[in-house]
Amino acid sequence: MDTTPSTSQVQVKFVTHEAEIAVNPAPILVPSNLKRFGLSQVVNHLLSPTSPIPFDFVIDGSFLRTSLDSYIADNGLTSESIITLEYVRAAVPPKYLSSFEHDDWVSSVSVRPGSEPLILSGAYDGIARVWNLSGEVIGQAAGHTAGIKSSRWTDTNSFVTAGLDRSLRTWTYTPDDAEAIQCVAEYVGHTSTVECIATNSSAQRILSGSADANIGVWSTSINELPPPPADTVPIRSKRRKVSKSTNAAKQYGALGYLRGHDSPVSGVMFTPQDSTVAYSVSWDHTIKTWDLTTLTQVDSRTTQHPLLSICALPQLSQLACGSSARHITLHDPRASASSVSTATLRGHTNAVVALSPSPDNQFQLVSASHDGTVRVWDVRAAHSGNLFTIQRQGRDPKIPATKVFDVEWNSCGIVSGGEDKKIQIDSMPAVEGEQEML
Amino acid sequence: NIDPESLLPKLPSPQDLRPFPTTTATVYRGHEGRVRALSVDPNGIWLATGGDDGTVRVWEILTGREVWGLKLADEPVNSVKWRPVKETGILAAAAGDDLFLITPPIFSPQTEELSRQVLEHGFGAAAVTASTTTNGEPKKEPPAKWARPITTSHLAHVTVQITVRHTIKHIAWHRRGDYLATVSPEGQNRAVCIHHLPRHSSQLPFRKSKGIVQRVEFHPSRPILFVATQRYVRIYDLAASTLSKTLMPGARWISSFDVHPGGDNVIVGSYDKRLLWHDMELSTKPYRTLRYHEKAIRSVSYHKGGRPLFASASDDGTVQVFHGMVYADMLENPLLVPLKVLKGHKVTKALGVLDIEWHPKECWLFSAGADGTARLWN
Ligand SMILES: [Mg+2]
Repeated sequence: MDTTPSTSQVQVKFVTHEAEIAVNPAPILVPSNLKRFGLSQVVNHLLSPTSPIPFDFVIDGSFLRTSLDSYIADNGLTSESIITLEYVRAAVPPKYLSSFEHDDWVSSVSVRPGSEPLILSGAYDGIARVWNLSGEVIGQAAGHTAGIKSSRWTDTNSFVTAGLDRSLRTWTYTPDDAEAIQCVAEYVGHTSTVECIATNSSAQRILSGSADANIGVWSTSINELPPPPADTVPIRSKRRKVSKSTNAAKQYGALGYLRGHDSPVSGVMFTPQDSTVAYSVSWDHTIKTWDLTTLTQVDSRTTQHPLLSICALPQLSQLACGSSARHITLHDPRASASSVSTATLRGHTNAVVALSPSPDNQFQLVSASHDGTVRVWDVRAAHSGNLFTIQRQGRDPKIPATKVFDVEWNSCGIVSGGEDKKIQIDSMPAVEGEQEML
Repeated sequence: NIDPESLLPKLPSPQDLRPFPTTTATVYRGHEGRVRALSVDPNGIWLATGGDDGTVRVWEILTGREVWGLKLADEPVNSVKWRPVKETGILAAAAGDDLFLITPPIFSPQTEELSRQVLEHGFGAAAVTASTTTNGEPKKEPPAKWARPITTSHLAHVTVQITVRHTIKHIAWHRRGDYLATVSPEGQNRAVCIHHLPRHSSQLPFRKSKGIVQRVEFHPSRPILFVATQRYVRIYDLAASTLSKTLMPGARWISSFDVHPGGDNVIVGSYDKRLLWHDMELSTKPYRTLRYHEKAIRSVSYHKGGRPLFASASDDGTVQVFHGMVYADMLENPLLVPLKVLKGHKVTKALGVLDIEWHPKECWLFSAGADGTARLWN
């Protein structure tokens, strides 16, 4: 047998999670000096797509970045081993598109659902702004008496904001109206800063996570809501300056509260499958599951660190949680799952404060961090670190990085906001094969 | 024929003692000049700082956003301490010979109202006391004057101003928040003044000066007051009004000390670079002397939320983090392990890190620097 590296061969199995690009998984012999590019050519040969699809290869949770020879040597395998290679469409790096300037830190971003995306931003100046994709402000929501920390669309024509003044405000957006944005109501009851909001339009529900450790459950339909609790009406503020007319909005109380965390609630979301179930994360290290019908805690799992963000990867039945300890952990929220964490994504150098799943790749998500970056991850290659790192555009490398506070990944791209007082939009180009299909 | 090395206790490796702070997470920028003091509110949400610029500022812990600030005086703010009661939002800040009790406008209306009630209740009590004690005798001048601030418009959120005779360098609250002590090192027999919030009254617990007082702290659970002079830490039984013990750290000049939440151990930091751990059940001499800093130690702090951690801050610009486990078993001595040297503050005009404090729950550490910044480490 010829043992020179140029001609030695190794048995590999090519597998994929994507049925439409699957090839026969039976082992085949390939030259062992192949790297990613050569292996990609082999799969394209087997697949014969209408146009070539660049592939990446995952072994044991890492991208193959060496030759198969080196992999075999590094992992103490022999040339008789059969190597299982999971192939994934190679991701194309994000491209910077544009930035929208604010007067103050941008704490939150949300993209309007539906066919005409508009970007909602919440800022520490207390104003929420609605932007078109050309970067024009087409409406402003002013009424909060302190900085906004979270803002979310509830529907195509309404949104909700909340923050340091402890209240939520709901707003309507009417296109082509001179007074495009109107405050509908103020939701009161939290006794500390509101850190995060989740909305579900079909269930007509809003959830708010607060530094008071509680999660408020509210309705988007004000007829459903009780009057505000008597002790939340500001006693002293009446004696202070009369509030501006723009601040005056009818006040309502919560349908109820989810109580169980004992530190600030930093992330809350409806489960993807069921709008009567919610997940939350807190500085108290726990991920909790809640039944919104009975307002009770269904599950709680304790992690090693304070948690600051959460998102779901629905097809994988996974939750991703960002921590103050600079990493993202993946969890299986199903009650049967025994292990606390299934994988850890490492790379950020400061707190991970926002997460958003890819709109079209079930394995990918994006994270925002106080380290000043937004990072794109593929959970299949958890050990390889992030796929891409997005820096803040126009930042002076001589000054310390500015924190990123929020990120959302959707059809307009990756939209993020931060301490640099900007919304930044980066596009994630579709891979070549998909472009052909469009 | 025994290898002496084998007799040394094996210290666990720092990796096995995680989590502990390793890197800067947040930098709080805004003070002009040194940040002298800091304090985290009892709920662990807000950081307060005081600086040479005469301001107190309140910050969001994670984002580093300054949410409120107030210029208190033209002199440095030397000490800030939140009242240790979760239901109120009261910040004590000392500048010059004034102690300010502040309700920063960042809390809910309920919390704000309760805080004002707690602070203002004594205005009535003080008036009653004054009217009943006038019987012709010349009244002794009280140790401190309680008042509403004169410049009300400017100091709108300062509810009470307490004026003593000498510059206050340090504040210590009793755990229930009814008493707080101030230290004016130049005050001799007036160096320590204990203020009673419900009655707006102040008293001087010591008739004679026993040295220049540096710091005082209340025992975490019993009626005991710790008083550090330059050389000694004296422990007074407040119920019996007696001196019960004197710790002799052997330092030339004590800068700071802290009491372990269990109440039986004390750490002492000194300007002569030494960090001393006292186990009061063992001896009045130090159980361990830790010499790791290259310059004066300015502040020492125990974690008080159930984690076996303590730290020291120095003019060498570093903060040093230690594992410090106190065992329930009386026969087992405390286990001390150096964990990490935190570098980030710039030494400025020979001054480094001036104050440190742990988060009430998490293993997050806050530091105040002469470089004009405060930092969160995690
Ligand atoms: Mg301190």
